Amino acid sequence: MSRPGAVVEIDRTMPPVLFHHGEGVRLERLPVGSRVIYGPDPLPGLPHPQRAIRRALSHPIEDDPLPSLLRAGMKLTIAVDDLSLPLPPMAAPDVRQLVLQEVLELAAEAGVEDVHLIIATGLHRRMTADEIRHAVGDRVFSTFYPERLYNHDAEDPEGNVHIGVTEKGEEVTLNRRAAESDLVIYVNLTLVPMDGGHKSMATGLASYRGIRQHHNVKTLLGSRSYMHPPDSDLHHSCIRQGQLIEDAVRVFHIETTVNNHSFPSIANFMQKRETDWTASDQAAFLAVKQVTDLAPTHIKRQVFHSMRAPYALTSVRAGQVDAVHEKTLESVREQLTVEVEGQTDIVTIGVPYIGPYNVFAPMNPVLVVCTGLGYLFNLYRGRPVVREGGVAILSHPCRYEFDSVQHPSYIDFYDEVLADTTDPHQIEQRYEERFATDPWYRQLFRKSHAYHGVHPFYAWYWAAHAMQHLGDVIIVGGDRDTVHRLGFKCATRLEDALEMAEQTVGRHPSISHLRLPPLLLADVR
Amino acid sequence: MSFDPLGDLEQVRRGFRWGETRPSTWAPAAPAVPEPATDLAWARTEPALTARKLIQRGVSMPFTELMARPHVSGREWLDQLDRSAIIVSNHVSHADTQLLLYALTDRVRERTVVSAADDYWYQEHPWVGRMVSLWLNTFPFSRTGKPQTVLANSGMFLQSGWHLLIYAEGTRSPDGRMGPFRPGVGYLATQNRAPVVPIHLRGTDRIMARGRSIPMPAPARVRIGKPLVAAPKEDYRAFTRRIEDAVRTLAQGPPDDAVRGTWVERWRASSPGARGRR
Amino acid sequence: MLALQYVRSVPRYAALKATGGRPKLATGEFSVLHLGDVEDPRLPAAGWHQVRPRLAGICGSDLAAITGHASLYLDPLTSYPFVMGHEVVGECDGSRVVVEPALGCEVRGLDPVCARCAEGRPGLCENVDSGDLPVGLQTGYCSATGGGWGETLIAHPRQLHEVPASLADEAAVLVEPLACSVHAALRAEIGGDDVIVVQGAGTIGLLTVAAVRQLTSPRRLIAVAKHPSQREHALRLGADQVVRPDEAFQRIRFATSARRLDGRDRPLLLGGADATFECTGTAAGLNDAVRYTRAGGTVVAVGMPGEVKVDWAPIWQRELHVLGAYAYGVEGDGRRTFEIALELAPRLGLEALTGPLFGLGAYRDAITYALAAGRLGAVKVAFDLRNLGA
Repeated sequence: MSRPGAVVEIDRTMPPVLFHHGEGVRLERLPVGSRVIYGPDPLPGLPHPQRAIRRALSHPIEDDPLPSLLRAGMKLTIAVDDLSLPLPPMAAPDVRQLVLQEVLELAAEAGVEDVHLIIATGLHRRMTADEIRHAVGDRVFSTFYPERLYNHDAEDPEGNVHIGVTEKGEEVTLNRRAAESDLVIYVNLTLVPMDGGHKSMATGLASYRGIRQHHNVKTLLGSRSYMHPPDSDLHHSCIRQGQLIEDAVRVFHIETTVNNHSFPSIANFMQKRETDWTASDQAAFLAVKQVTDLAPTHIKRQVFHSMRAPYALTSVRAGQVDAVHEKTLESVREQLTVEVEGQTDIVTIGVPYIGPYNVFAPMNPVLVVCTGLGYLFNLYRGRPVVREGGVAILSHPCRYEFDSVQHPSYIDFYDEVLADTTDPHQIEQRYEERFATDPWYRQLFRKSHAYHGVHPFYAWYWAAHAMQHLGDVIIVGGDRDTVHRLGFKCATRLEDALEMAEQTVGRHPSISHLRLPPLLLADVR
Repeated sequence: MSFDPLGDLEQVRRGFRWGETRPSTWAPAAPAVPEPATDLAWARTEPALTARKLIQRGVSMPFTELMARPHVSGREWLDQLDRSAIIVSNHVSHADTQLLLYALTDRVRERTVVSAADDYWYQEHPWVGRMVSLWLNTFPFSRTGKPQTVLANSGMFLQSGWHLLIYAEGTRSPDGRMGPFRPGVGYLATQNRAPVVPIHLRGTDRIMARGRSIPMPAPARVRIGKPLVAAPKEDYRAFTRRIEDAVRTLAQGPPDDAVRGTWVERWRASSPGARGRR
Repeated sequence: MLALQYVRSVPRYAALKATGGRPKLATGEFSVLHLGDVEDPRLPAAGWHQVRPRLAGICGSDLAAITGHASLYLDPLTSYPFVMGHEVVGECDGSRVVVEPALGCEVRGLDPVCARCAEGRPGLCENVDSGDLPVGLQTGYCSATGGGWGETLIAHPRQLHEVPASLADEAAVLVEPLACSVHAALRAEIGGDDVIVVQGAGTIGLLTVAAVRQLTSPRRLIAVAKHPSQREHALRLGADQVVRPDEAFQRIRFATSARRLDGRDRPLLLGGADATFECTGTAAGLNDAVRYTRAGGTVVAVGMPGEVKVDWAPIWQRELHVLGAYAYGVEGDGRRTFEIALELAPRLGLEALTGPLFGLGAYRDAITYALAAGRLGAVKVAFDLRNLGA
């Protein structure tokens, strides 16, 4: 049996605690009395994934069995999540591959000739051929790529249709091929509670026009947190859009979950609680620490980004979107939830080398904010781990470092927008349109592998709730100029950061350390 | 006469103008003594087979990977072959054969013989020809001799379980464009009732153009189409045209389903179960 | 009189060229400069005046000559030996004046004047080898006129402009380079919706920023500055934005909504700045400028370029207007460039750009300092000759 998550109080005997630090790791000794929040251990995977997938397809929830929906002569579109999920990328075979193979087997049996596979990238970058091959597997790839297996293009004026407007006035757009299909099958992977459900189609196959309806500061400030859909305006908006999509096109939704086994055996020490570290884990840590301290950045990056996570499939469900998603969320929560008693003055987070938007690229300063104060801060249900007016201490090198292929608009966002203001409202008002319509970003988004022009804005909005909630943000080990540009404070060591934080929250603060990844969801009472 | 081997050598060297162009005043060279005809059967006996496998795995395939970064599509059709087939491709460069062998699956590659121009490889450069036979499993295919004997010999390969790789244009294209196919291909296929796998390759002319001898790296693409089978009583010329059309269609843009099969067919062809059936 | 003279010496020039003009050598063993007592310049004709320099600036072109980087094109246009210094504020008959150094037909006492001088462009005079003076483009490059780096120089009345009392010497010494920048700014014919880039933020770059801001109204004025100390000056003088050379393409692309293509050596923009003022005179600066200026746009060479390697392909393909902007004369509205410069100067707070000042005796330090001005946080290094007489 895997252990549930735990909150461990630091006493004098405890080993130091692991902090991720970009492409590196560090051990820190937190003050006695601080608490460390660990997620549950990885749940066991399903013993026969393929059998489970087949069963899910033939016994869907609140929907007809998939074989009965497939007939010769129909127009079928299968959409799959892009490479922002899961993180780190999954060791082959990817869940998407397993599901697609079963779905296509049924389609072939039914003689469905007109099949398209679309990577639901939304405003994310186009996936490269190799990335697609890894996600869908060789067999699917060689059968369909490139004519019938391709990336969604949110900026193609011909390739997207306007479906309508929700009762709250939100515009809804959809990929034309999907909109004109007799059946759309969505193959999803729900890693955290934010993913999946109606959000899959409403963002993955939409254009900027549709996505901006909920990817804005107002909605995100009303999402507390967006990791808990019932309390999230973002999700309410997506659900309204998704219901409109369901009226327009027949959708068959497949959702999968994996456990949180995020690191291969060589990095076991990252996966384990420090008190469980064996001699070999300690040796591995020491080796990794020395190497990452010495090696040039690009070599470290290559090593880190080549890690593949040995996730195991924990659930697969198919059928009507809402019905499926409700059950899926239960599975996700079972893997991630850890109960936490009360808030603390300070939360410490080690920001890892990877976030949803920098697979095979450096995590630039804007994405450090997005990952640390966006995703990781929001991994709570009920109330944040840190109290209002408290301090978040992040650990990351935070260098001025951008991938010019993937993140061209991030460079301008950092140098033009953040140089002017860091206030999300101001940024949205003054700059978003300019970036959305810039012809160069559009060109790179459509033809190269660049994120959309407005994507850095969303990355920043993602952290808006945290910025509003927190009294101060300190980045340990960050580059001073960069951290100041982001509007935060910089400290060389954790001790200094805690000292600085005391000026905001008072003497003898209470401290929580979110020990992630592997991911967890803090259910704060 | 005194013993002077160096002087003798020198005399021969000068007299026969080693390293110089053959003077135009000399009568054209002709094989006054004919070479004994051979199909180089030794190249398909055991030590040669193993040696070739080692050469291919250890040197040729990695080298091809490095030089051409080949982009191969349609491999699933090869897995589906259940009898000896004729593999037909266009021909632009000496690098073609190695690239095609790379593109074939292991099982097919080890059972494939390659037709090589008898006059070019075996008459003009007999030792090069033998090396190539060891390396690529080629056999001399006469472009000038009597068609019947040539075709009968080739038919023997098919009947004894070998796949036959043939460049149906009969020569390398001078400019990269595809020439008309010689009807012998259709004849062989209809006579032996062998399926024909159409292949189109592109880019090898940039690796090693006709007339060059040093390969340079350049990307290459290989498209393997759905095997064609002659209809009963189909004329061999008509079938040749059909093969030629298939290769031409593969050359253009994304191939349509008629040539490479519908996705359902290809899906089935690539199924792990389908492989086990043979 | 005491003066700092440029003495022509082929071996020294060759040695400087070979060593790349290192400051230490250029002011030491191989120096072409000679500090000493020289004959006072004689008045060549009636009406000429003696001017006693108060401040004399060290110009980029002077440094190029001293370090052996100057183009040999200028060699036959110069008479040796000469006293350097053409950025001069001085005293003449009890009033303070700035000297307009160009030596055109009028100054040389020629009548009728050549076609260029008739156009009001004495800098382009075709008779720079005739008349009352030996060959020389400017005061400070002519053997007969003396120059700013000496106790006395002589000037034609046409060359003298009185300095208003409100303008300090430290500001007035920048009137000559300001006139160059004014001329450049007016040459580019800037429209109200244009994005303008000034590449380089030394004296000429900063003054060009000021001139463009004062005399035209572009949509956006971007200055490319290498050194942090130049940033503040550029912003104060009217730049909307100051960027580093390594980010110039990215920033200009953003400002003009152009598209950027990355090549093997340097990038290029599809679209780009409407006009660029190249004020560095370096190969890197010129090559960047012709790649981020939009097709059909204008590149004005303001800083003195030497013999640099510039890729002409962008100039050819983008059909760029490449303009030289050497010196002043009479502008389109009939006013003399120096008058416009003198009118602008009091508004610009130019004295902040001048300094440190050196005596003639410390010329080695002065030249060394001037060669590293940007890095050391200085803009215009000048000689102070006010205390020489005392």
